[in-house]
Amino acid sequence: MNEQSNKKLNRRQLLTRAGKAGISIAVAGAVSYLLYDAKGPKAGVEDEKRVTLKDFSIQHRPGQTMSIAKGPDRVKTVDKAIELLGGIERFVRPGETVAIKPNAAFASPPILGATANPELVAEVVRLCYSRGKAKKVIVTDNPINDPASCFTLSGIGKAASAAGAEVVLPKAHLFKLTTLPEGRLIKNWPIFFEPFRKIDKLIGIAPIKNHHRAGASMTMKNWYGLLGGRRNIFHQDINTIIAELAMMVRPTLIILDGTEVMITNGPTGGSISDLRRANTLIASTDCVAADSYGCTLLDLKVSDLPYLAKAEKAGVGTTDYETLKPIFATIS
Amino acid sequence: MGSVPGRAKRLESAISICLLAILSLIGVGVFIKQFNYNMSRYGIDTTAIPKLETQNSKFEIPFELSSLVPAGFEMLSKAEVYNSENLYEKINGKAPLYTESGFEELFTQRFISTGDPNQWMELYVYDMGTLRNAFSVYGVQKRADSEAFPSMQFAYKSGNALYFVHGKYYIELVGSSESDELFKAIAEIARKIGTNLAVDPNAGIAELSFFPQENLVPDSFKLYLVNAFGFEKLTNIFTARYKVGNETITAFIGKRADLKEAEAIAESYRNFLIENGAVIKSTTNKTLEGKVMDFYGETEIVFTTGPFVAGIHEAENQQAAEKLAEILINRLNSANNE
Repeated sequence: MNEQSNKKLNRRQLLTRAGKAGISIAVAGAVSYLLYDAKGPKAGVEDEKRVTLKDFSIQHRPGQTMSIAKGPDRVKTVDKAIELLGGIERFVRPGETVAIKPNAAFASPPILGATANPELVAEVVRLCYSRGKAKKVIVTDNPINDPASCFTLSGIGKAASAAGAEVVLPKAHLFKLTTLPEGRLIKNWPIFFEPFRKIDKLIGIAPIKNHHRAGASMTMKNWYGLLGGRRNIFHQDINTIIAELAMMVRPTLIILDGTEVMITNGPTGGSISDLRRANTLIASTDCVAADSYGCTLLDLKVSDLPYLAKAEKAGVGTTDYETLKPIFATIS
Repeated sequence: MGSVPGRAKRLESAISICLLAILSLIGVGVFIKQFNYNMSRYGIDTTAIPKLETQNSKFEIPFELSSLVPAGFEMLSKAEVYNSENLYEKINGKAPLYTESGFEELFTQRFISTGDPNQWMELYVYDMGTLRNAFSVYGVQKRADSEAFPSMQFAYKSGNALYFVHGKYYIELVGSSESDELFKAIAEIARKIGTNLAVDPNAGIAELSFFPQENLVPDSFKLYLVNAFGFEKLTNIFTARYKVGNETITAFIGKRADLKEAEAIAESYRNFLIENGAVIKSTTNKTLEGKVMDFYGETEIVFTTGPFVAGIHEAENQQAAEKLAEILINRLNSANNE
């Protein structure tokens, strides 16, 4: 044979090769089809290892969704605000275990208003025990600063313990991965979970603060304390993460403290002149409504805080708090 | 059956093996990659995630801590050091205010009264890299009720706390209560820092001297390093407040490389205001013609002189605004000639 004829294929060879190529393509296609995962990668985390926070909310009671108590004494205003919603007995049943999540983010003194007021936290603990007949109350947060320092220097640890609560500080083994199915940011993210695994009810307590990044820090932002890991990366999309946290956490009751409002230099403040006395305390089962009212105490509009509209759109609550017919009271 | 010659067959086999090898490598790559959670797909910039190794700061505390302890106090807990990547662990959402202004390191230390455990304070020493950066974060956070603190150029007391600038450092001393005894200790630490913490004695902020002194609200200066008045191109802008009658007016100055650059910035800022609803106002002052605007009922004036872009921001009274603008122009013209 010469060189040219060497390169020629006869019909049999052509068909054989075409057949082999066809089989290869079919096999590759079939294997790809079988391996194709339309849901995408699970980032190495199996479903059964992920956790989901329980829904701690209680049945809606028209006309008793939000109360606003005016007065300078937090103990009196919180008592009144809860009473107006039907009393703590509506929220805590005898023998239940209650978790209180205050904003204990910073190791700063109570005078600065950067953290939940210790007397307020203690009063809610007392109410849970004395009238709610709770079996156990825990007070817990995953603060930004060193947890022990935060609970000590903010006064929350001592006040809560004195009222009979168990203070739970965050430890690595208390965090578990979670995914918010409807969320965009909370995907396989560690949250402070274990203290909430076996509780029956959840109460959030937050002060009203100016926040350099978010505009305002109130009850919805308070759930940021449940995030673990390098949670500061979510500051890039602060409105979405706050809305997703509100979707993820369904508390029994939230208490928004506007007795003294941090109007500038938040969220840490630093000077008592960053605070303005507003003598207002809000109790609600609707965190969107509470925060929508709370922002008015910071001279903000609902539209100034995009996370409120996002949470409302997600069905968490309403920004039009007046439709809830909040119950007002003034305590001298 | 015809056969393909050995040489061609070997070549085809080699090519096939190469292709299979490449496909295998791609497969392995995909397999490995799938375990990496790509957060950018969810709108998060992963470059912002701090690296663990940076948690161990090499920051050296620039003075002997024990030398700061005031009489009747002792150190409470360990000193803490933060860099730009973990500053949020200390001040959370306020971190960007510093990191966007040249922040380098933060050092903190608490002190507690030996006689009363409720009396304690925390010292924050922010190394901002330059005096200008330190002055910027000092100015924008300044409290409305501030009281001057003697013997320091940029310092004020506010309730329970003392804030001051010392060279490239912005320093806060925050007390746990508003007590005279505690503030005495705070003042003592401030004085010791002034003595013990060496800074560049030649550093200064020249622009502050360009503001007219008449009617100036004392110590009302601010420096916006970026995004002054919501306009991103308006950088390095100094402001000062003036009391004119019952009104307080804000004047601003920013120095650029030359007149051309100053005019370009002034023009783009005026256009920004007009795009957002400002309207050019008539004026009897020839120098300010085309530079005075009404912005939703308030007067804005933007002009240039030499390398300075300057003006008046959010004045209620046009006449008072123009008067102050004229004084400012004269003062800047003098500065240009100096």
